[in-house]
Amino acid sequence: MIFHIARKEFRNNLHSARFVIGFLLCFVLIPFSIVINIVDYRDKTIQYKVDADAAEKAVKEIRVYSALRPEIVLPPEPLSIFSRGISGQVGNRVKIWIGDNPMLAAGKTAAGDNPFLGSFFSIDFVEIAAIVFSLLALLFGYDVFTREKEDGTLKVQLSNSLSRSRLSAGKVLGILLTLLPIMIFCYLFSAVLILFSKSVTFSAFEWGRIALLFLISLAYLAVFIFLGVLISARSRSSVTSLVFCLFIWVFFIFIVPNVSAYIAESFVPVQSRDNLDRVVNDMDRDLTSQTQERQKAQNLPTGISCQWCNWGDDGLLETYGNSRADFEIMLRKITISEPLRIEYADRKWAPQKSYLDSLIRQSRVAERISMISPAGLFRVIAEAVCSTGVRAHESDMVQARRYRETFIDFLRNKNVFASYRYITAAPPETFRTEDQLVEIRSGGEFKTVREYDEWAAKQKDRFAAWRKLNKVTAYGDRPDDFPFLNVSDMPRFQGRSKTFASGLADSVVQISVLLIECVFLFALGYVAFIRFDVR
Amino acid sequence: MKTILKREILNNLYSLRFLISLALLLGVFLAGAFSYVKGHEAALGKYQIARSQYDEAMRKDAESNATNLAVTMRSFTLRPRDNAFIDDAKEKYLPNAVVYSAWNVFSFENKSGNSNPFLNKHDDLNWAYMAALIVSFVTLIFTFDAVSGEKESKTLALTLSNSISRGAVLFGKYLSAVATVLLLLLPAAGLNLTIILLAGRTPLTLALVVELGGFLIIACLLAAAMAAFGLFTSVVTRNSNVSLLLSLCIWLLFVAVVPNSSTFIAKTIYPIENSETIQRKVDAAFDDLNKNAPPGSWMMNSGNPFLPQHELRARIVMKRLEAEKSIRDAYYRNMFRQFERTRLWTALSPISLFQYSSEAVVGGGYPRFQKVWNDLHIYQTQFLSFFKDLDAKDPKSPHWHNPLENVSTTRQKVAIGTVPQFSERPMSFGARLRSALPYLLVSVLAACLVYVLSYILFVRYDVR
Repeated sequence: MIFHIARKEFRNNLHSARFVIGFLLCFVLIPFSIVINIVDYRDKTIQYKVDADAAEKAVKEIRVYSALRPEIVLPPEPLSIFSRGISGQVGNRVKIWIGDNPMLAAGKTAAGDNPFLGSFFSIDFVEIAAIVFSLLALLFGYDVFTREKEDGTLKVQLSNSLSRSRLSAGKVLGILLTLLPIMIFCYLFSAVLILFSKSVTFSAFEWGRIALLFLISLAYLAVFIFLGVLISARSRSSVTSLVFCLFIWVFFIFIVPNVSAYIAESFVPVQSRDNLDRVVNDMDRDLTSQTQERQKAQNLPTGISCQWCNWGDDGLLETYGNSRADFEIMLRKITISEPLRIEYADRKWAPQKSYLDSLIRQSRVAERISMISPAGLFRVIAEAVCSTGVRAHESDMVQARRYRETFIDFLRNKNVFASYRYITAAPPETFRTEDQLVEIRSGGEFKTVREYDEWAAKQKDRFAAWRKLNKVTAYGDRPDDFPFLNVSDMPRFQGRSKTFASGLADSVVQISVLLIECVFLFALGYVAFIRFDVR
Repeated sequence: MKTILKREILNNLYSLRFLISLALLLGVFLAGAFSYVKGHEAALGKYQIARSQYDEAMRKDAESNATNLAVTMRSFTLRPRDNAFIDDAKEKYLPNAVVYSAWNVFSFENKSGNSNPFLNKHDDLNWAYMAALIVSFVTLIFTFDAVSGEKESKTLALTLSNSISRGAVLFGKYLSAVATVLLLLLPAAGLNLTIILLAGRTPLTLALVVELGGFLIIACLLAAAMAAFGLFTSVVTRNSNVSLLLSLCIWLLFVAVVPNSSTFIAKTIYPIENSETIQRKVDAAFDDLNKNAPPGSWMMNSGNPFLPQHELRARIVMKRLEAEKSIRDAYYRNMFRQFERTRLWTALSPISLFQYSSEAVVGGGYPRFQKVWNDLHIYQTQFLSFFKDLDAKDPKSPHWHNPLENVSTTRQKVAIGTVPQFSERPMSFGARLRSALPYLLVSVLAACLVYVLSYILFVRYDVR
């Protein structure tokens, strides 16, 4: 009997305008979102390849360890085609510094090269599905009892030996059977678009996750069907039921997710980034003064005198053509500065972590508030399934921080902070004295530094005097005289594991809540219909 | 006509949808008010920290020497607006700081920490958001069955059997829907405003009153446009269920589809060069300048400002600045064009039109950024001429203008009080009107067009 009622309901729905319009809505919106996100994924993949190649090249084309700072480039998540999560808001590049722990990923966001585009929002499959499936479920469910009551057919049906339980089960099943083909169509259509897209290749892992997403969509659809049925069973007329359903729909789909983020932003403040930057800058200044103090204690000069120098962030110092004495001074300096730099990175991490935690805490609060709405729950679960949420990003960053530790261990094991290879590719045995350098560079005109200085002191044109010492370029004066550093033994970054279950553990609670909502709403709808006045 | 209007308004006021809409609007406006008060206070706190650091850095540079003051790059951050409760204009996602020195306005940036990257993108609960989402929805809910619903309940034929024209009936329904929406919006907005004013952070000034009035006018226009669409869906079908579905489809198109396809449109229809290409162009220009630079141009010895190599280096650094500026400024213009053209596409949606008008009325968002960007360019030339005057008066300076280094120009201290300071001036109301006018005109045109179409269809409508 249940199936009989379901079949009748299904046929009635199938011939209704709402089915046709609902189907057309999906037919337009689903490919729209999938195509947009495939294009976006293709762009991200192209950018990823460019960035990854650049990062690889940057590691290979260096000559000294002080320049060796690998960059992790995280590949775009293929399932971001379905749910973007925060993947469009965070970068995908993490530079590994010895003087800083990775905090936030850098690189381009969804806005690409134009920061103004950041003010445009985008929509993905999951959001479209959340909007359309819930709308259809409510539109098919809102008059499931009230319509028949208004037509007078409900009384007739229940005057037979048909129980209310069977009737309600049959009607719910009928709506589910009506909407199921639309949902299957949406997923199949998306799958076809992905299969025909040259820029996307899904592995078994991704297809498995899509199947899981389908099952979760089914539970989400059921929640709204049961909600529609409940409202119908509690309303006196179809118009009342419809008005309630529509406002509940707007509230759950559009208002709650937005309000949750805004309330979290207002009431769970994040620490000031400017303040953090100031604290970190102060620590950097402290690092510099500590380094200088320790170097001074060892009678090392403050400045650097070098023939060819390239210096920069995170202790980068590449130098050539100096005298042996200068090289020795520089080596003694980095032996002091670099371990201290690593020590300060750990000190800086405390305020940085506190800031990061405040960001995560705010997003967690927003997430929890948004779970008032089934759409919020669906979105959070979809982000976990598609590995595009905050947790997946956090996991990537944890891996990046671990990799930094491994990288520093690699440097320490090679004892690079006490090696000339940290600052120059010139072998120590090729280092010359200052007198030798003056003789070579002046083309034999001066034999010693003293001789040159005495001559230079008499010159009015200092520039001409300087040029005397650049007559001849000696071997080892330029980096091009030496080969690149062999870093084949450097540990490489391993991304997070991609097994079917990975990352899903965190969303078990949310999935359970969604299922409980399903059961609860079904039970409420059933009780409401049992007490429904059919007259 | 008056009777129809009165009857329709009363019908709307006594309807369940009015009560639910009112409850929803009051609830959301209430939440919006408290969140705004709290969030605005925090935003102002953060801004004060950034601003005091900016002022302190400028003071220190001035105390060290005028050249330091001139060559140091500073980031001027925009203050959170006090009228952001009307419309924040998505400013947290737009660049909110401009980097400049006396020599150039270099770039703009969205200062990190402005928005939490782990938080999904969202609108603030301000009036504009509530109007764009809820008012547009409620307007459709009040109009989707204006004709088809009456046909189903057989009251339409009865109404038209009296000596009343179809035009008057339709216009009455149209006006009543707009009026009902206003009656919903006003108490909710009033409640929101009262809480915000009582919180004491936002003073009630004449400018704010004008902004509030301007906002209400464009909100009316939005309601008018959406009511026209609602009536249209009501007269193209005979069944209110189908009207409702069509209304919802139109609403989804305007609220979700058109605005959310902007990034795709921007990147597909109006692509711009990527930042890597621009950097390569800059590098190539630098290489070219370096190759043609006289020997010794990069010699560095800061001890004596009169060393001849400082002049060479000042020249090449200046040329590099000019070369980079011309490349980057052209790139920025492309960015602006890409953004503006994409917004024109999204103007297909009355809701986007409303948002763009609203940001102009409150003097925020993109028009605000553009004004600051242009004003900073004017200020930069004033700042530079101030610095050049100082340098010219200093006999100890060789006057070799180097835009990046503190070497070959005046090293005299300068009193911070004498240095021209940049402060953001709000957009004039004339400028706001000019900015909003095209969107308002399109909005009015769309509302009229759809209404006329609805009228034509209603004249031919079978009321039996």
